[in-house]
Amino acid sequence: MSFGKMAANGAAIESLNLIRGRLCNSDFIFRFLCESPDSNYSKLKFIFSSSITEACNNSVLLLGPRGSGKAAVLELVIGDLLKEYPDMITVVRLNGLLHSDDTSAFKAIAKQLCVEHQLLFSKMASSDDNTQFMLAMLRECGLAHKTVVFVLDEFDLFTQGKQRLLYALLDALQSISSQAVVIGVSCRLDADQLLEKRVKSRFSHRKLLFLPPSKDDLLKLMEHALSLPIDSSIPQDYAVEFNARLHTIVVDRQFQEIIDSCWESYPTIRHLMKFLFCAVSSLDLDSGYLSLENFKTALPSMQRQPKMESLRDCSILELYILVCMKRLEVKEQNSYSFNAVMKEYKMVHDSFHTSDYYGQNVCLRAFQHLLQCGLIGFTDGRVGHNQAIEFRPVKLLISLSELTHGLKFYNSCPALLLKLCA
Amino acid sequence: MVKIYTFCTSSIMVKEESLKAAKRITPSAYSAPTIEKNSAVKSKKTVDLCFPLLSDLVYGNPISLDALLSTFPGRRTQILELIQLLGPLNSPTLPLFVYGVPSTGKTSIILQLFRHLNRPFVYSSFRTCYNPRNLFESVLNLLLLHHRVAANGYSSTKRCDKLSDFVDFLRDALTSLIKRLKDDVKNSVSPQSVLPIDGYMIYLIFDHLELVREWGKSSSMLQFLFNLHDNLNIPEVGFIFISNLAPDMFCSNMTYVEQIPVYFPSYTEDDLRQILLRNQENQKLYSSFLNVVLRPFCRITRRLDELSPIFESLYMQYCKPIGDPSNVILSEDMKRRLYSNLMPHITSARNETFRVLDYAAPGTETSTKFEMKGCKRKLESSKKSDELDFHMSISAKYLLISAFLASRNQATLDASLFDSSGGSDSRKRRRKTPDKVKAQQEISEDDLQTKGPGSFPLERLLAIFQCLASVAEGSSDEDGGSDDWLGIGGESAVVTSNILLQISSLSNVKFILKGGSCPLEGSVRYRCMVSEDLALKVARSLRFPLAKYIYRR
Repeated sequence: MSFGKMAANGAAIESLNLIRGRLCNSDFIFRFLCESPDSNYSKLKFIFSSSITEACNNSVLLLGPRGSGKAAVLELVIGDLLKEYPDMITVVRLNGLLHSDDTSAFKAIAKQLCVEHQLLFSKMASSDDNTQFMLAMLRECGLAHKTVVFVLDEFDLFTQGKQRLLYALLDALQSISSQAVVIGVSCRLDADQLLEKRVKSRFSHRKLLFLPPSKDDLLKLMEHALSLPIDSSIPQDYAVEFNARLHTIVVDRQFQEIIDSCWESYPTIRHLMKFLFCAVSSLDLDSGYLSLENFKTALPSMQRQPKMESLRDCSILELYILVCMKRLEVKEQNSYSFNAVMKEYKMVHDSFHTSDYYGQNVCLRAFQHLLQCGLIGFTDGRVGHNQAIEFRPVKLLISLSELTHGLKFYNSCPALLLKLCA
Repeated sequence: MVKIYTFCTSSIMVKEESLKAAKRITPSAYSAPTIEKNSAVKSKKTVDLCFPLLSDLVYGNPISLDALLSTFPGRRTQILELIQLLGPLNSPTLPLFVYGVPSTGKTSIILQLFRHLNRPFVYSSFRTCYNPRNLFESVLNLLLLHHRVAANGYSSTKRCDKLSDFVDFLRDALTSLIKRLKDDVKNSVSPQSVLPIDGYMIYLIFDHLELVREWGKSSSMLQFLFNLHDNLNIPEVGFIFISNLAPDMFCSNMTYVEQIPVYFPSYTEDDLRQILLRNQENQKLYSSFLNVVLRPFCRITRRLDELSPIFESLYMQYCKPIGDPSNVILSEDMKRRLYSNLMPHITSARNETFRVLDYAAPGTETSTKFEMKGCKRKLESSKKSDELDFHMSISAKYLLISAFLASRNQATLDASLFDSSGGSDSRKRRRKTPDKVKAQQEISEDDLQTKGPGSFPLERLLAIFQCLASVAEGSSDEDGGSDDWLGIGGESAVVTSNILLQISSLSNVKFILKGGSCPLEGSVRYRCMVSEDLALKVARSLRFPLAKYIYRR
């Protein structure tokens, strides 16, 4: 390899690492979307600053589908405010997955407050002690004009059970002495409806909805994320060429169609970033430039059809069983078991004299494979545990059209199966 | 749990939490010379187990990409895709979700890939980590380079069974480890020291994710694992999930699989041929053998772990007429002769279940145990089909037969089958069945097919047992045999605790299942899970005329 090529390769690796790092870093992505004045970022920041400067309490819910950037925007706001008002904010982070029971939640709050204020945390403290400690800390912070921010990620999970934590927090906000902000983050749009009456009446009912950005913004965001900086350790002429090529790809109609298809299947920013990540990963390190081909190949790996794939993984015998089950379902037998399927299988064999006729044991094994990969399932759930598999009622877990479609694309599928399935 | 890989040579691998075990995982056939070196390294390491080494986090003895690709025929695209997704050195990555049916090389390829890349990773499998605490502690042990040895009483570094604690510990462990790795990279700029580890990215690998679905609080655990990447928010940590099940099987209203999917399709017939041909002494002979067997068996299953044992035994049959398979010149005539020799074995093998399914589908545990017995029996029964290959006491056999009858026959027929004289000869088919009754019986036959064996209360089982025992008593007297096996005694007919013990041991081996209680009577009902073949076989071993007692249309 010549020296020049080595250097080019090094630059390509460096830029690949840079772009991959950006796509994995939600701060970078969402920072770009935060600039407009009516963005959620600005609204959230306004709420925060008012409660810091005017010493009032606030509560707000951030709602939106998974991957729409709720937590990322929140982190950006908190990060900026920590810079803007140093020593005036204490952040307590809770996650519904980790602290959904009240005891551990209070403990986590006490622990984080202790770490923040250089106090000694006692592991032995009871839940009640921790609650009292939290209220006392809130009062103290309020007197010192310090704001305590409670971030409750997966907010809907906190509403399970007695909601003691939510009540304690929101009730504390009612007093004048405290100065706190409670922020719930949830992907359930009806999260505020899950609150108990006494909790709901204390909640401010302020909600911020995270909507997908416009198409223009998206394209701008993508170009922003994928283009290389001119003023960095990456050779300048390489970066300029890279960006120029990228621009021609982005304005290409085909590219926009790919993005549309990806965006329509799951319209969140994180999904799009995942797609870009796959595309960028397939960057050819020798040439060092992105091409439309990269995006084309990445699209099918994002839009997988697991049922079709598992159909393709089936053996011929397994397909026979599926087709027999399908025939039973067409006959509107509402409940059938393995033995009934075997009966049907024997009938098919008797009338068509197939070469694929195997003993019951072999079929049972194939049946188990199907159960395992989730193409069929038991209908009786956990009740039928003490019954042999042969007798438990089963059903197909794929639709009939999916099965027909899958058979058509199966390599060397016996013609008889297609006929039986039609 | 032990999973047996009969890949090329059958090497037993036990998936353990320790990385040492992860290194052992690769079937030894992959590259013989390096394995030897590996074991030398291992023996050295066992000496200083207590001194944590960073190099414990990598596989050791990196292999080249070509070696990796040639070790796994038919997996080129998947390996290259994984390499691309993992990216160059120290490049951040999104979590990956690797899935495909069993025995498609997911785990082996991932582990060998990390051997090739020589990057640090932490492997944990849900086969061994069967509860949250186990998982947490094994991951932390590996990250903190902690070995459970006698000196520390086989204890873990941290005791933790709560998700929140685990996240805290994990974050601490990861940050300190990454810092250490980064320092190492910085310090060893001087070229003479060869880095034992490439880069400072740490990859957490979670294998057999499908098992988590069966945990009690499964949804919260899955959601936790899938969100761990966001929760930790450390860019230097990569996640790889390996699962038998496609991502859509993990979706619920709470969890959504957001990882990048990487799919391992099942091997095609050509791939299977290439894999099976590896490590065969006589390539030509084996290839002609595969020409015969591969296609018909591929129609039944394409799983390597099921095919290879049956091919092994068939190949022995195939080679039998030749004697020494290593130096044989194959002529067309010879091939034909071998083929006709093998033909009967193929047909019999095709209709037998080959091996026990060791990863039972959820909810099938009860039957697999029984099936295991059935399978073993089946295999040996090819030789002597009339004999049972397990021992049972005579009274247990009678109990089994009576349970079978109780499940099989309707309770209303008992009186006619076993009337006061206890003899079977008094049984007559008195009724000429009118059409109506016949139709009814057809339905009940269908019921037997679909609903399975009927259930019965304990009393009925004991009553039938006593009847049978008295018949047997009579017949054995006629034979002049003096079996005094009867704890029950024909005349005394007292049910001793021995019989109840036998029943409980029969239900322990799942020949009899204890079902739910009947809502009306409130007593526990039993159900016999034995197939008719087995019951007939048991009866034959007692010389008991079971066929007479089975009610048929």
